Amino acid sequence: MNPSPAENSPRTALGRFFFEQETPFGMALVRIFLPLAAGIPMALRFPHVRELYTTDGSPVQVFEMYRQGAVLPVLPPAVAVPVYGIMLLCLLASIVGFRTRTSLCLATVLYSYFNVLDGIGTLTKYSVIASHLLLLLTVSNAGSVWSVDAFLKKRSGTVNILPPRFSVWPARLVQLLFAFIYFGASITKIQTAEFFSGDQMRYWMLSNWNYENPIGEAVAMSSPLLLISAYLSVIWEVLFAFLVWRPRGRLLMLGAGAFFHFMTWLTLGLYVFPAICLSGYFAFVSEQDVVRLRRLATSRPFKPLLRLSALAMSRMAAAVPQTVPTGVTWTCLIAIAAIGATEAELRMDLYQSRSESGLMSLIPMDQDVALTMLRDKNPVREHDKFFNFEIGTSTIGYQLSNRRTEYAVGDTMIAQCNLNPPHEDMWVECLVQDDQERTIEQFGQFVPRESLRANFFYTLGNKLVTGQYSMVLKSANQEIHRRHFSLTSESAAANFDVSTN
Amino acid sequence: MTRLKSVLVLGFIAAYLSALSFGTVAHALKVGLCGNTLSYYVVWDMFCGWTAWDARTHLIAEGASGQYYDVREPWGEFHPFGHLARIHYDNTNDLLPRHIHNVLRHTAHEPIDRVFTIEEVWPKQYNLPPGLYDEHFGRPNDKMSYYHLRAVFRDDGSLMNIYPDWHAKQKLQAVYDNPRLRRQSANATSLFSTLYNPSEARAGSTLNTSMGSGLSTN
Repeated sequence: MNPSPAENSPRTALGRFFFEQETPFGMALVRIFLPLAAGIPMALRFPHVRELYTTDGSPVQVFEMYRQGAVLPVLPPAVAVPVYGIMLLCLLASIVGFRTRTSLCLATVLYSYFNVLDGIGTLTKYSVIASHLLLLLTVSNAGSVWSVDAFLKKRSGTVNILPPRFSVWPARLVQLLFAFIYFGASITKIQTAEFFSGDQMRYWMLSNWNYENPIGEAVAMSSPLLLISAYLSVIWEVLFAFLVWRPRGRLLMLGAGAFFHFMTWLTLGLYVFPAICLSGYFAFVSEQDVVRLRRLATSRPFKPLLRLSALAMSRMAAAVPQTVPTGVTWTCLIAIAAIGATEAELRMDLYQSRSESGLMSLIPMDQDVALTMLRDKNPVREHDKFFNFEIGTSTIGYQLSNRRTEYAVGDTMIAQCNLNPPHEDMWVECLVQDDQERTIEQFGQFVPRESLRANFFYTLGNKLVTGQYSMVLKSANQEIHRRHFSLTSESAAANFDVSTN
Repeated sequence: MTRLKSVLVLGFIAAYLSALSFGTVAHALKVGLCGNTLSYYVVWDMFCGWTAWDARTHLIAEGASGQYYDVREPWGEFHPFGHLARIHYDNTNDLLPRHIHNVLRHTAHEPIDRVFTIEEVWPKQYNLPPGLYDEHFGRPNDKMSYYHLRAVFRDDGSLMNIYPDWHAKQKLQAVYDNPRLRRQSANATSLFSTLYNPSEARAGSTLNTSMGSGLSTN
């Protein structure tokens, strides 16, 4: 591609931002990692292609979920399965950079098609981001370096020894995409009050809708951590667009982003989402970054390794026949993928419709279990309306931040109950009882249906003597929870009050 | 790059950034989003919803003999985003009828009279691992699931009856548990006028005659 007049002399800052000339190393890295991150989940779906995407299964288009009817044609298995195989091959060809633009173009169309076709089990926000990135890779020159195409071009001797340079606008669009994604996500969070009270993330971390979340449950029970991380994540999401193009801000924003996505894996069990986002982050890699890394790689400790890989590449190049046109090879590979996918899917025989034993039987159900489910009229147990009940002395953002079992006279105890919505308007009480379960104090409050928690403040005054007590939570005249605490001695404040009286 | 190519590039950049801007503005101001499938591609509303109750979907088929069957794929469930079957991610209930039809047409079974869709819910605190549950609650994990009839289908997946979901039912009960509202709703009368028709009046006719709508025995 020859530089246009606009590319030759971008006079404005905006022009330089979009049309500066660079070797697309960053986009080449996106080309290598994104199809891998997006392709693995699609490859894992291959045994269920018939069920998810064909007329012989149960696809639900996202258009139907928006009540717009089935806009896309659903193909019969005989067509959809080979097409699916072609999509997988195109993703693979994109990774190695073989007939890159054609492969990426086909991969983008087919990946988007199959995603839209199964709005329940395939399409999700990570596949939307992947579709955007595949589209932007298609219009970029991501295949001009670190690819089979570049290698073949170099071998033919038609290009310079220096890597080619192009306008950076495709990389800029990827960068802007992430700025929009994070800014939009911050708007979502700002519009969700429960995100800033920690309730939303707590319940997400306690869900098992994604993969294992090794520390999600532990973090879910720490309200201060949830609150602080909620504010930090929104601040980062808003700042991303303003700092990521500044030399000093770039590493900070991308580092924070990598940490954010890593934590979504640990706390929410998201695997594919972080992988796709982080593969998109490579668009922020500039030509200068690669030059710096290359200098490091050609330094003494790495030199033998580099020589070894160069030798291996030249051997491989010698082994590849030069006479076969790449277009023919690519077309043959597409045909092999289509035939191979069809054959593999037929052999898998998902529904076992070609087996000698015939169709599989519907699974009989235990009658008692079925009737329990069908006849269940149990009202919600009173204690299931509550998430938890804790006592402590301090709050952060109206959430209890410490749990204590020892108090001194003069301390103000905060008894907090969190409720599971939806619940009705309730009258909730707290009782202070001694170790003989004799009630000393009783106080209550209305908790309307929109409230997620109620706080009770109780000053441990001189009515109590040192000893063991309980703070009891009651609702609908039922004991919900009991927290034991001990009153040890008079606090300094109480002593001061006594002495001044 | 030719002039045409430059124009195409500029056009692509402008169109792409306009689409992203539209998504952000529309999402922020809540305009122009409803019913627009393509907005899903430009709106970044990750984790916009949440619930305090975990939920699963059960499909129970009742055979002509009275035997109940689990309408689950005998060839193996597909788990799209974790360890749950695809049917559990169907929060819009669009998959239910097709799933029923697909499983029943690809399995051997006696004639099926109807298929019940049951919603199972339980509070999420019971999902805590035993150690953490003990540390934070200090009592046995007495998890109890609630089962709620959501819909009834025929064996071809066509709908027979549908009921509010469990969350909606709880909210409706909370609202209805108000004597003043109950009294007002009981006293209110819905009116479908058969005596006065504005379009007839505009045409000058004062007769209350049937114009072909409704039941006619002639």
